[in-house]
Amino acid sequence: MTGWHLDDDMLRRYVERADSLAEGASAEQHLLSCEPCRARVGAAAGGTGLSVIDFAAVWDRTRDAVEVPRPSVFERLLRGAGLPAQEARLVAVASAFRGVWLAGVAAVLAFAALAAAFGHARGVWVFLSVAPVVPCLVVASSYDPWMDPALEPELVTPYPVLRLILLRTIAVLALALPAVLLVGLVVPGETAFAWLLPAAGFVAVVLAASTWVSPLRSAIAVSSAWLAAIWLLAARSGAPDAVLQARAQAGFLALAAASFAIFLVRRRRLRQLRTWR
Amino acid sequence: MDSGPDDEMLLAAVAGRDMGAFRALYERHAGWLAIRLSRRCNDRDLVADAVQDTFVAVWQKPRGFRGEGDIAAWLWGIAIRRLVSRLRTRGGVAAVSGHPGVAPAAEDQVLLSVEYGDIGQALARLSPEMRAVIQAVVLDGLSAREAAHLLHVPVSSVKTRLYRARAHLRAALAEGSS
Repeated sequence: MTGWHLDDDMLRRYVERADSLAEGASAEQHLLSCEPCRARVGAAAGGTGLSVIDFAAVWDRTRDAVEVPRPSVFERLLRGAGLPAQEARLVAVASAFRGVWLAGVAAVLAFAALAAAFGHARGVWVFLSVAPVVPCLVVASSYDPWMDPALEPELVTPYPVLRLILLRTIAVLALALPAVLLVGLVVPGETAFAWLLPAAGFVAVVLAASTWVSPLRSAIAVSSAWLAAIWLLAARSGAPDAVLQARAQAGFLALAAASFAIFLVRRRRLRQLRTWR
Repeated sequence: MDSGPDDEMLLAAVAGRDMGAFRALYERHAGWLAIRLSRRCNDRDLVADAVQDTFVAVWQKPRGFRGEGDIAAWLWGIAIRRLVSRLRTRGGVAAVSGHPGVAPAAEDQVLLSVEYGDIGQALARLSPEMRAVIQAVVLDGLSAREAAHLLHVPVSSVKTRLYRARAHLRAALAEGSS
């Protein structure tokens, strides 16, 4: 302890930035270890027309920032999986994760599963027409700007859109697939799993198509096409065998691979995300 | 001076999610942090953001302080890096360091040269750019990359300016002692 402190002149020069580098440096070094001098600088910062910053306003913002609700369970899961906090937030704000959305999806699936369990052949058809398109609808809504206004400012910031979309797609599928699989267990026979490859194919098609049109539009188009195809099949043969055949399944696998390749090749066009509105 | 709880006790209370202690910590440190930050960056909004970020970081990780040295030094280490990262994300904002305007009065300069001798004069003769680099790297302990973001110049310029500033000081001191 030297008993040396900033005198009033030095303090004034420091606060007003009228000091030399050497004087400023020794003042700063002293301040780090001297609480009374820090308090004097702080008092000078608060008063006398200097008003470096608005301390009350900054405190309000700071308090608001730390009082935001704790991240959702899902967001914490993502962070636990090694995703940086900011990315976890970006992935988790997708509208698909809002409870209402999931509840709606679950209701549709439950309806289809019930129909399949109790309604014989007709029920299986309902399940087959709904289950494969659910994942691609959920994925599309997870990054369609129309569904998710929060995405808009995010895309303005220099963030790799491709990475965001893939992360969200994976996250959505990780949430949606177990639910759909569970419901599928209620459905008798092979049908329970026959929808997996078509679903993968449709997700890839939506990703690829979103380099041209909006994701939601492409998902709706894909879903309509699939419904039409299923209804045609049902009308013609009356049995769901056609969808379950190995050849059809291989076709869906090829569709998934080809679409994903197109998506990767054209990924730079994803910048158009903002201009879709 | 009020002799309330010391900083470490406040920090422990913040770790226990005590908003009152957090407020007290803010009241105690925001002032001098803002003054020191504003000596590094002329944009008051950025300084305000950096102060906010600093305290949010303290709230989130109060145990980041390992009990070594002063809490004030720990806070400053967070604050200057928050300022750098704010500058990096905002880009394009000139962070003018150095000392604008007010030239020290003549007698002040005499006093200074008495008080600091050769080193003070040598530092005073540095160009503002070199002083800014010295301040960022030597006094604030930033890496060359962080200093580059703070001063908004390429990393290579930081390194050359630092090198030149050191050479200049060495020459000036050698000249003074001979």
